Amino acid sequence: MTKKEKTGFLKALKEFVYGMAAHDSARFALKTRANMEHLFMLVTMGDLVGVPLLPPYYSLRLLPYVVPQIATWKRRLLREKDLTDALA
Amino acid sequence: MEGIPISLAELLKAHPERRYLMFGGKGGLGKTTFSAAAGYHLAKQGHKVLVFSVDPQASLSDIFEQDLFGKGPVKIMDNLWAQEIDADRRIKAYQDEIRQKIRDMYGFTDLPEEIESYIQAASAEPAMEESAIFDAVVDIMVTGEYDYYIYDLVPLGHALYYLSMATVYDAWIGKITSLREQMREYDQVAAHLKRGDATLDEDAILEELLYIKDRIQTSSRILTDRERTAFFFVLVPEEMIILDTVKAAELFSRFKVPISGYVVNRVLPQELWTEEIPEFLRNRIELQVRHLAKIRETFGNQVLTQVPELERDITGLPMISRVADYLFT
Repeated sequence: MTKKEKTGFLKALKEFVYGMAAHDSARFALKTRANMEHLFMLVTMGDLVGVPLLPPYYSLRLLPYVVPQIATWKRRLLREKDLTDALA
Repeated sequence: MEGIPISLAELLKAHPERRYLMFGGKGGLGKTTFSAAAGYHLAKQGHKVLVFSVDPQASLSDIFEQDLFGKGPVKIMDNLWAQEIDADRRIKAYQDEIRQKIRDMYGFTDLPEEIESYIQAASAEPAMEESAIFDAVVDIMVTGEYDYYIYDLVPLGHALYYLSMATVYDAWIGKITSLREQMREYDQVAAHLKRGDATLDEDAILEELLYIKDRIQTSSRILTDRERTAFFFVLVPEEMIILDTVKAAELFSRFKVPISGYVVNRVLPQELWTEEIPEFLRNRIELQVRHLAKIRETFGNQVLTQVPELERDITGLPMISRVADYLFT
């Protein structure tokens, strides 16, 4: 390999490795965030599955913002296996 | 325990910064009467006063002889307003607000069944009424246009629940908000790594949580603030009531609610002694004298005032005025 090719190759390799690391970090962040989202939904909207934690007057206030997530969240909560396990 | 005996009038005069007054105690002992009388007295002195209640039994309406229920602040006389919160109506109005918001945000004509049933289920919880009342009181407290706020608390259990809720909500909302903030951090990390920029949309949920947190904290800060709140326990000279009051006082101190003093109501007038009285009445008076001694012994200088049993029911401004005179001697 010429020097130029070698530099080029190393650069590409570096970018590839960093890219993968970043991707993994991003995925980790997203996965952790997904778990936290799950926890958050449980704490604020737990009434839906019979676990009242936040006063209902205030959790009702949050309802409009979590409407899209309610269907998916409930399904996930009641599944045996977590969806994100598939990503691991 | 304060060393020098002080009367209710002196206490309020010495502490003008104590603007949030509450009369608590078991049902039927005179809380509403004293709330009205205190409001009357302070209004006559030129202060702008709001007396309010969340009691669905509408005792303020009875005592002021006007229908106050669910009507917002109603002017009783110069400087004096009274309000009875209709919790049910508030909850219904709130539900409709939420429904409309969801319709607007997502373009629904009808709400999905799941959402609608959630709204109904949440509103059926007993805690919904309590938390709606809590929020209604926050509304009143944050407006700040009155010199004095007199909160006629419903009987003891509810009062304690209400006061403890402020602390509990406070802790919870703190945890939930920090959870949401952590989530946001992860969002930022993910966004940064993926797209190289970290600008995110405002987290609307976080905004709402902070709003709720602020309201809860404003309310609990006032209630536990010895400087701004005066809580008076109403009792009568009866054995069981004395015992219950002692227990309640302990509970209150656990929730850090400062008790400013005790007011003894329904004291049979000493004048009765001088007349020919039936044995029955003589016994009752003697019993009271004993209990009054017990009260003095138990609560010492925290007993602010004694108010006599009057010859008729307290309704209407003239009777309220008489009670105010006794209350504030």
